[in-house]
Amino acid sequence: MANGQIALTLLMGVLLVAVAAFLTRIEDWRSYTPLAGGGGGTAEESGYAHEEKPGGLIRWLTTVDHKDIGMLYGTYALATFTIGGLMVMIMRAELLDPAATLIESTTYNGLLTSHGITMLFLFGTPIIAAFSNYFIPLIIGADDMAFPRINAIAFWLLPPGALLIWAGFFVPGLAPAQVGWTMYAPLSVGVGAGTQSGAGVDLMLLGLHLTGVSATMGAINFIATIFTERAEDCTWANLDIFSWTILTQSGLILFAFPLLGSALVMLLLDRNFGTTFFAVEGGSPILWQHLFWFFGHPEVYILFLPPAGLISLILPKFSGRKLFGFKFVVYSTLAIGVLSFGVWAHHMFTTGIDPRIRGSFMAVSLAIAIPSAVKVFNWITTMWNGRVRLTAPMLFSIGTISNFIIGGITGVFLAAIPVDLVLHDTYYVVGHFHYIVMGVLGFMTFAGLYYWFPIFTGRMYQRTLAKWHFWLTFVGTQLTFFAMLLLGYLGMPRRYATYDFPIGPVDPVTALHQVATLGAFLIAIGFVIHVWNFVQSWSEGPILEDEDPWNLKEIGQYTREWEWHHRRMETAIADGGDEEVATDGGKESNEEELTTDGGENVSETDCSD
Amino acid sequence: MDEQPGLSEQYRRASPWPLFIALGLPIAEIGVLFGLVPLAVGGLLLFVGSVAGIVQESGYVERPWNLLVGLGGVLVVLGGALALSQLTGGSLDGFVSALGSNGLVVRGVSIVIAGAIALGVGGVARFVETEPI
Repeated sequence: MANGQIALTLLMGVLLVAVAAFLTRIEDWRSYTPLAGGGGGTAEESGYAHEEKPGGLIRWLTTVDHKDIGMLYGTYALATFTIGGLMVMIMRAELLDPAATLIESTTYNGLLTSHGITMLFLFGTPIIAAFSNYFIPLIIGADDMAFPRINAIAFWLLPPGALLIWAGFFVPGLAPAQVGWTMYAPLSVGVGAGTQSGAGVDLMLLGLHLTGVSATMGAINFIATIFTERAEDCTWANLDIFSWTILTQSGLILFAFPLLGSALVMLLLDRNFGTTFFAVEGGSPILWQHLFWFFGHPEVYILFLPPAGLISLILPKFSGRKLFGFKFVVYSTLAIGVLSFGVWAHHMFTTGIDPRIRGSFMAVSLAIAIPSAVKVFNWITTMWNGRVRLTAPMLFSIGTISNFIIGGITGVFLAAIPVDLVLHDTYYVVGHFHYIVMGVLGFMTFAGLYYWFPIFTGRMYQRTLAKWHFWLTFVGTQLTFFAMLLLGYLGMPRRYATYDFPIGPVDPVTALHQVATLGAFLIAIGFVIHVWNFVQSWSEGPILEDEDPWNLKEIGQYTREWEWHHRRMETAIADGGDEEVATDGGKESNEEELTTDGGENVSETDCSD
Repeated sequence: MDEQPGLSEQYRRASPWPLFIALGLPIAEIGVLFGLVPLAVGGLLLFVGSVAGIVQESGYVERPWNLLVGLGGVLVVLGGALALSQLTGGSLDGFVSALGSNGLVVRGVSIVIAGAIALGVGGVARFVETEPI
């Protein structure tokens, strides 16, 4: 113990000295970066951002540029998506047969917990932040985020958060948390004989706390940026749809995440310092569920609204028409944002809470179907009679709409108390929310990556591979998650590593699990193709010389971020511009031929025009 | 945007501090939660030092030292309150035995140590470094 303390002290001392040494070494940055409070006054000559940045790794460790931070968020989110995906592939492989043959049930529980937390907190929120960091300032005409350094702090809190969340897997002597992503008390308080009282859970809670701090800092930044940093011609009346959804999402984060942080601190105090917030004889385990879901349900919309904004942004670009009912899409976004705080107890219908409370929460939950349907009908109407171009981002957007219809309607069923009492804690719930988180958030992630690929890489992706990616992902998603809905009808409980039941229909359950696993592998193959396409096109694809690869000018939707892209192309030094534009990219593809006269709707009112 | 430079064009596009703030906070959290004194002290120092640094760099203050002293003072008060809340008598023996038996006292003291170091460094540097940065 004493040796350990000395070693820790030494280690900490070395770290602090190293930090101090690093800081003194980079002191001379100040020669080219004037300070507002001291320093020289050459600020007006700052010119193009890249000239100011240090090179190599140091650039990425120290950047406060919103585009760089967006890239960092994106890289991080794709890495965590891969890790969370690998976790679930192991779980799906285990579920191929009824018995626990591949992994222990405890390992399954650990993977299950980490998969959920990784995908929601380490992939979902960060990938949205990737898009919004890179593009919101460009779309609204801001120079950067309102607080560039806080932006960087928010990102850098995420890698330590991830390491803490996964610590149980790789730190010797620790067991991964097996408490589920909802961390229900009293299990999460450490009661019982399993590993739930171990430090693995504490570290996971700390990591989650850090990601919550990160999300809150990011949200404050976006609210401040959208309120105060807009260009003069970008007013509330013509603010674009993606900014509206990010603004609403940031508002939700601002009210939801601090509550999660507080509840996590209470849980940590219960676990380590003998408080009784969530003890049966104290504040009661139900208190945890109330606090958690007061955060947890808005979290669903935190992850849904920005992808919905991306649909509203991308769909018109490839339909040749402006977004149908723009105002009502904005109103529905705001309505969902407000209503999302009044539905949390629908997660608790089976806990024995007062039936009158259940009734009111059922009513509000059902009411959310209205603004959701407004969005769906407006999206469909946008495509109606349009000149639809089935590019990869458009395919993913249309796929998202169909996924959202299934995920949304199954949600309406679940909001009804009698249905929920039957289907609660079955695979039906798992299928329902995966149709949203994979079917909407996952799909729109890919749509956004493909749509803006020319801007952040200066190149074009390979169209055929992108379509393979889409169809594998789409078919895989339907197989996996529709099978889960059917499994739920059969009564298969969620979170089980085995289904070797002595009673009940084991054969159809086995068959459906195998279908779900087949679908998951299709999604995984699609993702491998995506990564290959992404990396190869980025590193080897020819430089794109066309500033309008989607032919947006023809339909009057050449928005502000593309104008910025155009200006950047004009100022960039030509390096390798002698190559041909990719024939598998946008401009040369046959997609273009469909769009020769799609310009009848020129007068979109976005400030991004 | 490039043709219309606004106020934030004056911001530097690189800062070493965010990384260290984001490193200091989790180290401090782990140290305080698990009662690991070196991690608690080191993490808190890294955190408050970086906060003072970034505030100075942003131009909100001309020199970081007063802020460092202030943050150190806050830590001393918070840690002291935590430790004292666990002590019944005022005797030194009682304090020493509580250090051995009461985890909250250890945590409180570790926060006080971090605060005291920040106070000391800030206080000394305030007078030693006369040149404005």
